[in-house]
Parts: sequence; C-alpha cells; structure tokens
Amino acid sequence: MTQQLDRDVDTTRHSETRRPGVRVTAGTVRRRRLVALLLVVLPLAWAGERAVSGGTGLVNWNGLRLLDDLLATALSPALAPEFLRVVLDGAVVTVAFAAVGTFGALLIGAVGGLVLSDVAWSHRPPALVRLARLLLRGLLVAARSIHELVWALLLVSVLGLDPLVGVLAIAIPFGAQTAKVFGETLDGVPEGPLQALRSSGARTVPAMAYALLPGAVPLLLSYSFYRFECAIRSAVLLGVVGLGGLGQELVVSLQSRNWDEVWTLVAAVLLVSAVVDLWSTRVRADMAVVSCADWSPGQEGAPQARRGERSRLARWSVLVGVAGLAAAWFASGVSLAGLTSERTRELTGRLVTDLWPPQLPLGGWAALIDSVADTIAMALLAMAIAVLVTLLVGPWATRARTGPAGGTRGLRRLLDTLAWLGARLLLLVLRSVPPTVWAIVALLALFPGILPGALALGLYTGGILGRLVAEAWESIDTRARDALLHSGVSRPVTAVAAVTPPSAHHLLTYTLYRFEICVRDTAVVGVVGAAGLGRLLAENLAVFRFPVVTTILIASFGVSLATELLGRRLRHAIRA
Amino acid sequence: MTSASAVVRLRGVGRRFAGHDAVLDLDLSVQPGERVALLGPSGAGKSTLLAMLNGSLPATSGTVEVLGADVGALNPARLRTLQRRIGLVSQRLDLIDQVRVLHNVNAGRLGRWPTWRALASLVVARPDGEVQEALDRVGLGWAAYERTERLSGGERQRVAIARLLVQRPELVLADEPVSSLDPGRAAEILGLLRAAAQGSAFVVSLHQPELARQHCTRAVGLLDGCLAFDVPVAELDDVRLAELYALT
Repeated sequence: MTQQLDRDVDTTRHSETRRPGVRVTAGTVRRRRLVALLLVVLPLAWAGERAVSGGTGLVNWNGLRLLDDLLATALSPALAPEFLRVVLDGAVVTVAFAAVGTFGALLIGAVGGLVLSDVAWSHRPPALVRLARLLLRGLLVAARSIHELVWALLLVSVLGLDPLVGVLAIAIPFGAQTAKVFGETLDGVPEGPLQALRSSGARTVPAMAYALLPGAVPLLLSYSFYRFECAIRSAVLLGVVGLGGLGQELVVSLQSRNWDEVWTLVAAVLLVSAVVDLWSTRVRADMAVVSCADWSPGQEGAPQARRGERSRLARWSVLVGVAGLAAAWFASGVSLAGLTSERTRELTGRLVTDLWPPQLPLGGWAALIDSVADTIAMALLAMAIAVLVTLLVGPWATRARTGPAGGTRGLRRLLDTLAWLGARLLLLVLRSVPPTVWAIVALLALFPGILPGALALGLYTGGILGRLVAEAWESIDTRARDALLHSGVSRPVTAVAAVTPPSAHHLLTYTLYRFEICVRDTAVVGVVGAAGLGRLLAENLAVFRFPVVTTILIASFGVSLATELLGRRLRHAIRA
Repeated sequence: MTSASAVVRLRGVGRRFAGHDAVLDLDLSVQPGERVALLGPSGAGKSTLLAMLNGSLPATSGTVEVLGADVGALNPARLRTLQRRIGLVSQRLDLIDQVRVLHNVNAGRLGRWPTWRALASLVVARPDGEVQEALDRVGLGWAAYERTERLSGGERQRVAIARLLVQRPELVLADEPVSSLDPGRAAEILGLLRAAAQGSAFVVSLHQPELARQHCTRAVGLLDGCLAFDVPVAELDDVRLAELYALT
C-alpha cells in the first residue's frame, strides 16, 4: 500500500547539481515539452483503448440496481447490538494485526537497518559483511516488491488461516522498507560526535548509542508511528484473504449484499483510520517530522529532526503504544508455534519444491504478456483518475495561507475551514476504504476488466495523492507570491505566475512516485477479479498451480523494477 | 628528563592520501609538561598529525609512539585503552546536541565504563562529584541539566573542555580550538585547556603566534607536511613566521 511513500529520500539530494556542459536553450525546452506531452498522451490513449476494447460490454446495467440499493441504505446502517459486537471484534482484530505486524516490522527494521547502515561499520565493512549486506539488500528489495496481500496469499498456503499470517504479511514487506529507512536515518545523523567518542576510546556499542540515538530517535519514532498508520490500512485489506477483522466482515457483507452492514463497517473502518491518522500525525508533528510528505521526494534533503524538545505527547504515545502492543498480542491470538510445527515444515518444503521450476500460465507467453499489459494499463488509468481527484479536491484540502493583505475574516473564513475539513474528510474516506472494497463496488456496476480495477485503484490512490499534494502545497514558500502582490500584481495573476509552477512540480513528482506504487497495488484489485497479474495470481493460487505462481511473481517483480527505474529516470529528468 | 619517558615520539612518520603526502618523514618528540603549538598554513598537515597522535589515523610510514606504546602495532582493544588516555578537542567540538550537558560531560569517561553502565547512563544520570567539579571549573556549574543545543558557542566550547576534564587524559590534543573565537574568548579557552592539561603534555594547532607565545613552551612549524622549525617560543620570531606563511 503506502509503504513506498518514503522510499527515495536520497534522490532529492543531488537535485541542486547542474550537469556541466549542458546548456538549456529554447530548443531544448521545446523538445522536452513535446516529449513530455507524448509521454502523457500516448500511454493514456493506449491504456484507454485497451480498457474499452475488451469485447464484452462495459457497464453492467443490472448491477446498477444493486448500486442503487447500496446507496439507498446509506442513512440506515445496521445498528443491531449483536452486529455491532461483530464490528467491534473485527476492529479489535484489525488493530491488533496492525500493531503486532508493525512491531515485527520494527524488529526487522532495527536489525536490518543497523546491518545496512554504513556508520555502524565505520564505512569500512569487512569483506564477509559486505557480501552479507549485498545479499540482505537483494532480499529486502524482493520482500518489499511483493505486496502484503500477495504475501498473505503465499503464507496462507503454508500456515493455513493462522493469525500469524496476518502479522507476517505486514511485518515482512514493512520490515524490509523500515530497514532501508532506518539505515538511511542512522547514516544521516552527523558523525562528528561518534568519531569524537571513538577517538577517546569508547567501545562501539555505547559510542553509537550515545552519539547516534539522541539524533535518530525522534525520526525513528515518527517513522514507526507512520508505519502503524499504513499497517492499519493493510490490516483491513488482509481481511480479503479470510484472516478476520473489519476487512473480512466488509467483504462478506458486500458479497451477501447486506448493504446496511456495509455502511456500518465502512464507518468503523473510517473511525479507526481517522483516529490512528490523527494520533500519528499529531505525534509526528510534535516530535520532529511534520508530515508524511517529509518522507517522500519533492522535499529538499533527508529528513532532520526539527525540534529537539522532548514532546510529552510522544512520551505518552510510546507508553500507550507499548501497553497496547501487549494487549494486541493477546487479542490477536498470535502464537509462534505455527512457525515451527511439523506441518508447517512439511508444507514449506512442499511449497518450495512446487514453486520451482517456474512454468508459464495457460495460454503461454501470450497470456502472461497480456496480463502484464493489463496491469500497466490499469495503473496508468488509475493514476489518471487519481490526478483528477487531486485536481478537484486538492485545492480545497489546502489550507489557504494569509498573504500580506491580511487573511479573510468572519463567515468567509468559516466557510473556508468547512471546505477544508470536508475535502480532507473526503480524501480520508477515499484512502481508508480498502481498494478491494472499491473494486467490489465497482464490479457491481462494471463488468470485470481493466476499468473497474482502475476506478477502484484510482479512487484509493487519489485519496493518498490528494493528501500528499495538499500537504506539499501548504508548505510552498510564499515569498515569491508575496513579492508579486507587493509589486501590485492582481491576485489571480499572482496565483498563475507564482503559485502554479511549484504546485505543478509537487503534483508531478508525487504522481510519478505514486505510479510506481500503483503498479504494485494492481495486485490488490486483481485478487478480487478485476484484471492483470493480480487476477492471474489469484486464479493460479486457487488451484495450487505453484510453478505458474513463481512465473507471475517474477513477472510482477520485473514490472515493479522497470517502473521504479523509469520513475527514477523521469524524476531526475524533470529536475534538470 | 630522559627521552625514554617522552609522551610522544615520532620517527620518520609519513601519511599519504591518494598520491599526496600530507605529512612527510617527520621526527618529533614531546616531553611531559611540555606545551607545543603547531603552527603552519592551512593544509600543512597539522590536523593529519594530530589524528595520527590520537591513533584514529594510521601512519603510512615510520613509527608513532604515544605514552610508551607503538600506536601502529596495537590491536583495536589495546588502541582503545590507549585512546582513553588521550584527550582530543576539535574545532567542531563534536558535542551531541540533543542531550543534556551532563551526558556530554559523561561522554568523556565512556571508555572507562563497562558497556551496561554506559548504556544505563543515557537513561538515568545525575551529575556526580566529578561531573559537577568539571562543570564548576569551566564556569558552567549551573548548566548540567541544560539541553546542549541551547547553549551559546562559548558555552559549548566549555562543555567540550569539561568533557576533557572528566576524561583525565595524560596527553591533550587540540585541533584549532580557538580559530572561530574573538581574541578575549580565545585566551580564556586556551587557559582552560592548558589547565586541563596540567601535569600532562599539550599539543595544540593554532593560527595566532601571539597565543602560542603566551600559552605554550615550544613552537613547531609545519610546511607542506615537513618540519619547518622546532624552537622554544622565545625564539619564535617574525622571520620564521614570514617564511612559514609565505608572507615575503
């Protein structure tokens, strides 16, 4: 899901350097504009064409009635006490999975981050360690390129419907991501104090604890809370596999068409997400890192703790977090016994032998390539929808900042605030309802294919992109705008001249960035039957055709890697 | 004093960085109680020399003997034991900004503590007699619980000296400790450093010859990694300085 939000803190560092010997002329600009236009128009046209030429009809007119039923019950959600009890249990399970999963991810991240950081080895790791690091790096890249949901599907075939699956499916990919971020955070702490301590003869462990932890802890804690926020979304999503929690109840209610229950469950999901979102945002703001945008490209440099003051809220949050974790451990009913049992060992052995050698799916190369193309088309269309959502909702979700002429007052101000709240709430709804649920709803009205998947993924990604972009817009430097206003330029012209370019830049960077994640997320909507590699994977897993599963995993990995490299290249290009 | 008890003895010491000699074939010894000023233009090899004296930078040729041990021949554990007896202050001070002053002072004796105690001291620590005395000596008796990043530049400098005091070093090395300070402040800090090095040896790199004359007993000039002169401060005259800084 959003675990990639934070990946490339490093790509922004060389943004200032201008390539020597390259002169930007009017011709270069014109050529770049043409290339950019083609890069947007051609893929979108191709994806659109692919989505509508499925052969079957697009809109399922019979299904529209169902959609109508769904909307009709919006104001009369199921509130029977016994059902509310089910909802409460589901919420507890979801939060418990998220909490224990995050804890696992932090453990993996702490160990992996230490091994991956250069500073822990004084920049000169021994040859054996270097080899181990290379292996670990590859393993982590692979681990995080596989979506949580796919991890869950794979783990279910080994462990069965064990709560441990829910925890591990979150802990493994999140841990891989956390290890990378922790390693970079440790390397980002100024190294002078560490060198000073070591040169006065302090042992390695205390020297690192003294010199690195005080600077790194606020960032590490912020990141941990941010991970928990993401884990909640993933935990809801994992319900689809049948592991319990709000997600499972949602899917069951949707499929049995108990629309009133759907609304109650959606409200519960929103409530849980909103509470955790708010908590995490407050803690991060209080401690160091103002928004999750700090973990994304588009901001200058690596995140640095801004405030050294220890926040009381952060302290309490850590205490509550530890106590909550213990409670979550019991509530989730996780036991590690499943990991070592005879049956697991046997099934793992069988799975490993079954997975290799890889085999092509039914239909051979053509079917595989078709699925890859569907995946890419779906991601492209989803991104277009997400950008549309952002353009429509984003400006309202951006809190206006007062200019030199003074802020607005009275009723106008109240209306502005209401619009802001509404827009933020809409974005929260879009991103909190899992894309699987959006997909199931979309599949009521549309025939299976690229379009419902793209729609579901687009709405969901729009919720995330809209928030990221709005937060980035709020942080835009107002000095250029103020200078224009001071020199007597009218407000509309100022907006176009001074506000649009940086806004467009933020939108572009985040769009490219989310696109890479979107490609990975296609697995999610595929699993419920939309299209693409995810659907192929779910179909083959259902009939235990494991050699094909391997092929599909390799193909997904290839697609993810290719988009990531392309995205990096493009992000670099738009900075030049 | 016999040369056997020399605090520092360098024989033919050199340090090469990627084809360039930062220090070349240097012979130097420092006796207990001596205060040596290292003079020379930027890039003359002063910092490289100090880093080699501390053992944090290995020499590429020759032998570095500090406090009776051949630095190049020590294993990491032995080197650490030696480094605990050498105090080093750099121009950057290298304080940990986010913690309270007393932790930064404690950092000076981290090497003496077992690991568990060092780790515990990060969580629960109060200024004991030694820390309080060190802070009193540098005029920061009130500041033990202050957050380090809140202190002024001069106060931070004093914290670094308090850290040095609790380390109780037998050799004090200071790399341009006063180059960013005004003359009054510089004299004060050098006085404190000198007091911290009381009874042991003191090697300090400086840019101001007057400070060398006031606070040191001996002046060593470095030029392009080689010894330009090595004289008692009384003989530090303008001709030598002009040669060193190429002022002619």
